[in-house]
Amino acid sequence: MLAETAFVTPATPYHPGEEAAVPARSQIGLHAAKLGLQGGAFAVFALVLLIFALSSPIFLSPFNLGNILAQSAISGVLAIGLTVVIIAGGGNVVTGGIDLSLAANMGLSAAVYASLSQAGQPDAVAAGAALATGLVIGAVNAVAVTRFAIVPLLATLAVMNIVGGLELVLTQNTVIPAVTPLLETLSGAGPLGVPVLAYGLIGFALVTALAVQATPLGLRIQAVGSFPEAARASGLAVNRFVAGSFLFSGLSGGLAGIFSAAYLSGSTTGAGELLLPVVVTALLGPVFSRRLVPSITGTLLSALFVGVLINGFQLLNLSSTLVSGIQGLLILLVVSATTLLKRKEG
Amino acid sequence: MREANKGGWFQRRDILKWSAVAGVAAAGTTLLSGTMAFAQEGSLKGKRIGISTAGTDHFFDLQAYNAQIEEVKRLGGEPIAVDAGRNDGKLVSQLQTLIAQKPDAIVQLLGTVSVIDPWLKRARDAGIPVLTIDVGSSHSLNNSTSDNWGIGKDLALQLVSDIGGEGNIVVFNGFYGVTPCAIRYDQLVNVVKYYPKVKILQPELRDVIPNTVQDAFSQITAILNKYPEKGSIKAIWSAWDVPQLGATQALVAAGRTEIKTYGVDGSPEVLQLVADPKSPAAADVAQQPAELGRTAIRNVARLLAGETLPRETYVPALIANKANVGEVSKKLGIG
Repeated sequence: MLAETAFVTPATPYHPGEEAAVPARSQIGLHAAKLGLQGGAFAVFALVLLIFALSSPIFLSPFNLGNILAQSAISGVLAIGLTVVIIAGGGNVVTGGIDLSLAANMGLSAAVYASLSQAGQPDAVAAGAALATGLVIGAVNAVAVTRFAIVPLLATLAVMNIVGGLELVLTQNTVIPAVTPLLETLSGAGPLGVPVLAYGLIGFALVTALAVQATPLGLRIQAVGSFPEAARASGLAVNRFVAGSFLFSGLSGGLAGIFSAAYLSGSTTGAGELLLPVVVTALLGPVFSRRLVPSITGTLLSALFVGVLINGFQLLNLSSTLVSGIQGLLILLVVSATTLLKRKEG
Repeated sequence: MREANKGGWFQRRDILKWSAVAGVAAAGTTLLSGTMAFAQEGSLKGKRIGISTAGTDHFFDLQAYNAQIEEVKRLGGEPIAVDAGRNDGKLVSQLQTLIAQKPDAIVQLLGTVSVIDPWLKRARDAGIPVLTIDVGSSHSLNNSTSDNWGIGKDLALQLVSDIGGEGNIVVFNGFYGVTPCAIRYDQLVNVVKYYPKVKILQPELRDVIPNTVQDAFSQITAILNKYPEKGSIKAIWSAWDVPQLGATQALVAAGRTEIKTYGVDGSPEVLQLVADPKSPAAADVAQQPAELGRTAIRNVARLLAGETLPRETYVPALIANKANVGEVSKKLGIG
């Protein structure tokens, strides 16, 4: 049933010449492969959920599901910020959009929040400063990429080191505890006993998904990333969208910083360790999207998939070290499959 | 002065507590021997015990962690063991999930108090007994620990005596937020206060995790360049022995083996250095990590059998210096 609908579905809007260029038989094969890949990802996710639900009585409890969402909140917010940069900058891993400063941004923003709270500043000031920190980092990235035309991979790598250094200077590499009304609310439980951070992640993902996937602005961002030449020809200020995407990811870093301060009761060291998991989550996102392209909903599902694996492994009393192995295997599969598909399409 | 009093007071209190505990235990054994043999050994049959650790990348954590798992199995229980790999986010996630799993007890091994404390409280709120190893949390029913006041004092006294009561010492103090490290450091300060010719060089160094050894190596190399004259530094102190390892290597590399190094934990590689007469590693206070792990689990069994636990259970530590290192290593089952 599903396969048939796929055959009659016209090619994606961004590939108008595709059908004419590729012979019919390999066209069918391509569609089948794509469908298999994306259907496969959903099937794997469903299977994983089923296995965990059958083998652990508490897996599907609202309390545990809420925990999974809350545990995925920090990396999820960062991965969504990163996804916006990837969408606006294009998916090429080397020259396309990427923001490697996100995890360090989260660390510095959390440190700014915790330091100001310790210095007796009210929540509004501390939280405002944390978000502003993220935004400034985003602005530096934006200037480096759009004004100085540095490849995002290198620009954000440099900014990552600067930000990491600033965090060390600010915290002296120590833990700065913080207990504030805002943090207590964020780390506590909300309606239905589900953690507030879980609502935070869902809310942030929903708003971003609507903006990127259901508005004219979102369409333009996607156009800028996928076809910069065409976008420029049709009068879009490409650089402005790219800069905007870095500002947004910077802000995501600031927000994740506040979430992290809530989750860890202050700022702690080692924020940089989150970078690779976040990049991995964003790279895994396309398998959870309809057309195997980066999307906010895909990244959210990818973040939750990783969260479910980690949680389920603990519930089954299995070593969590296996999770990173499974993640790596999935990415290798996804990247090789999409590369093969693209080569065939091209 | 106040600081010194504090240290002394704690020790006196500990001695009092110890003798009280010992007295009660002795009385209990005589009264109940025979009838309570089962409870003495303790059983965890049918119990699920959550074992959470900040990491297992050091000799100490790994020994204590594995010993806990073994002991739970030996007593017939099921361990749910999670290792955060020195990542605070992971540590909190695992505790959160552990609370949802509702085990019969949770034992937390190490971890920054301010980070884990709110979650230990939640575990208690959910009706799960929480015990700790080397964590000074108010939400812990019982903390198995080495007597860190004793460790800090023994190490400090060995140090000032080795350097003849005078000279500059370099101190790694990066983990004052971790209770045992703070106590050991405070004890060093307490002892040094009465040796006016001993100076702790400022600024103090900050040891880091990860890359502790490499980082300590480069920090000490830099300090040696700053104080090139032999005798300008007498000793290097750190609250655990992984920075000591890096520091010792740096001294050897720079040919400054007249400087002595001091640390805590009894890591096998450092004990080996202490055993080497030419190495600058002068002393290492060895805790008994496996014994700490077993003690905590036995305490869980006692608690679940209805006994009331003391706030702290102290497991003796052994100072290994150039003179007695062979003996200590044998006792620890190393080498």
